[in-house]
Amino acid sequence: MTTDDVRPAKPVPVVAAWARPFWDAAREGRLILQHCEDCDRVIHYPRMACPFCSSKNLDWKNASGRGTIYSFTVVESNAPSAFAGDVPYVVAVIRLDEGVQMLTNIVQSDRDELVCDLPVEVVFEQLNDEFTLPKFRPVR
Amino acid sequence: MANNRGGSAIIGIGEVPTGRHPDQGAISFALESALMAIGDAGIDKGEIDFVIPTGSLFSSQFSNELATCRLVEELGLKNVTSNCEVFSGGSSSTNALRVASALIESGRAKSILFVHTDKLGTGVSAQGGIDLFSTAGISMEWEVPYGQHYSTVAALATERYKFETGTTDEQLSAVCVSNRKWAELNPNAFFRKPLTIEEVMASKMLSTPLRSKQSNMLFDGGAAYVVTSGERARDLTEKPAYVLGEGGLVTHFAYHQEPDLTRFGWAQAGRQAFESAGITPDDIDVAEIYDSYPIYQLIAFEEIGLCGRGEAGALHMSGATAPGGTIPTTTDGGMLSKGHIGAGGSVSLLVEAVRQLMGKAGPRQVPECRFAVETAVGGTYMDAQVTILGTEIP
Repeated sequence: MTTDDVRPAKPVPVVAAWARPFWDAAREGRLILQHCEDCDRVIHYPRMACPFCSSKNLDWKNASGRGTIYSFTVVESNAPSAFAGDVPYVVAVIRLDEGVQMLTNIVQSDRDELVCDLPVEVVFEQLNDEFTLPKFRPVR
Repeated sequence: MANNRGGSAIIGIGEVPTGRHPDQGAISFALESALMAIGDAGIDKGEIDFVIPTGSLFSSQFSNELATCRLVEELGLKNVTSNCEVFSGGSSSTNALRVASALIESGRAKSILFVHTDKLGTGVSAQGGIDLFSTAGISMEWEVPYGQHYSTVAALATERYKFETGTTDEQLSAVCVSNRKWAELNPNAFFRKPLTIEEVMASKMLSTPLRSKQSNMLFDGGAAYVVTSGERARDLTEKPAYVLGEGGLVTHFAYHQEPDLTRFGWAQAGRQAFESAGITPDDIDVAEIYDSYPIYQLIAFEEIGLCGRGEAGALHMSGATAPGGTIPTTTDGGMLSKGHIGAGGSVSLLVEAVRQLMGKAGPRQVPECRFAVETAVGGTYMDAQVTILGTEIP
């Protein structure tokens, strides 16, 4: 992480009201996923209404925190200003065991071990007092 | 879907060279292109009764001026019932044509002027461009905080596509080389020097496996076209570019929500377009494929049926898509060589499809060009759009 004060601050999530529990849980080191009580589907990212059946009868469940890398990339240059001090960093799409996809960073990894379909598990990185981002690392 | 095959046609096109023009306002590219298109159509400007500008990304102030009738006033158009912006990022070309065709076919408009202009080359800084495209069309809650931007977007699709199909970095680079060969023949293109696979492979790594010469660059530019009814088009020209068919499928907003980063919505969009046009991929004489990055040219090319899954890389390597090849592809040089001008990336391709059909492509003219397919897609490749044009109605 950079300590260079010249760079713009890291962008924080612009939170939709119904997604607030996700970020509150992440701050406590828990990964939770929205769940539709009517059609029994797991939902991510959180929605105002179920994207499958449109029900607003939605709840939250703890996630396994496990998944696989659907795809990944190591950013080496031309990063957005706020991330210029972080290169190289890894952006990845994860397929969680619950069947949903999320965008994240892969951390605590050797770039040579990264490959599509690699099993990964969640870790949490604090961004500031309000936000902690769920990130992933290869399963050891 | 109602069959309105050939009910509307593009009869005139205009375009300014893509480049860096710090001394000119974006309005000048719009007006030059519009005047060229009206002249090319061979109609009196008083016949234009509907104007469709699309959005301009470099300045919200300027984009608002386009939405609020500046072009109508600057061009001195006196019979315009409506100036109405149609904007969906990179797919604006197809969506504007879709709207224009519907207006013509329903009798609500007779002659429609579509105009695009942007100033991303000199209207924003290089880093400003990267930063603009680290938020435009990217989820502010679920992706921006992780450093997602357009290089990572393209790289994520490329990595998975390589993994599933065995396509090589050299084959991906061959897309850049093929498009460059066309750009060498296009005076409106920015990059016109010959390019080799080795040069692409030696260029700076952006986000693995994506290299800088596999990335588009942002420039200033503009283009325009005029749409009228098929019937009126026949009176004006021997070779109207009839709108024969179209298809589309929106598959995501946030990139990570895309169920298949190696396919997107192209297969369904292509099927719809070819069915409505009444032709098959084998009938296509020229393919204008959206090419902001090589991966997207390969995926769309395959998924709309121009070749089989995983075969497009080898096909580009073989020279089949280059000048003199069996399936001329992205013949203006595309965003990779002509240059990326925002929503105009696909407007250029649509204008080029018309240019080829009307026999106005000069040294890069594809002989006996009867049917063209154009693909367009906005944002992070969220809405696969396919348009089929032809000089005859099947």
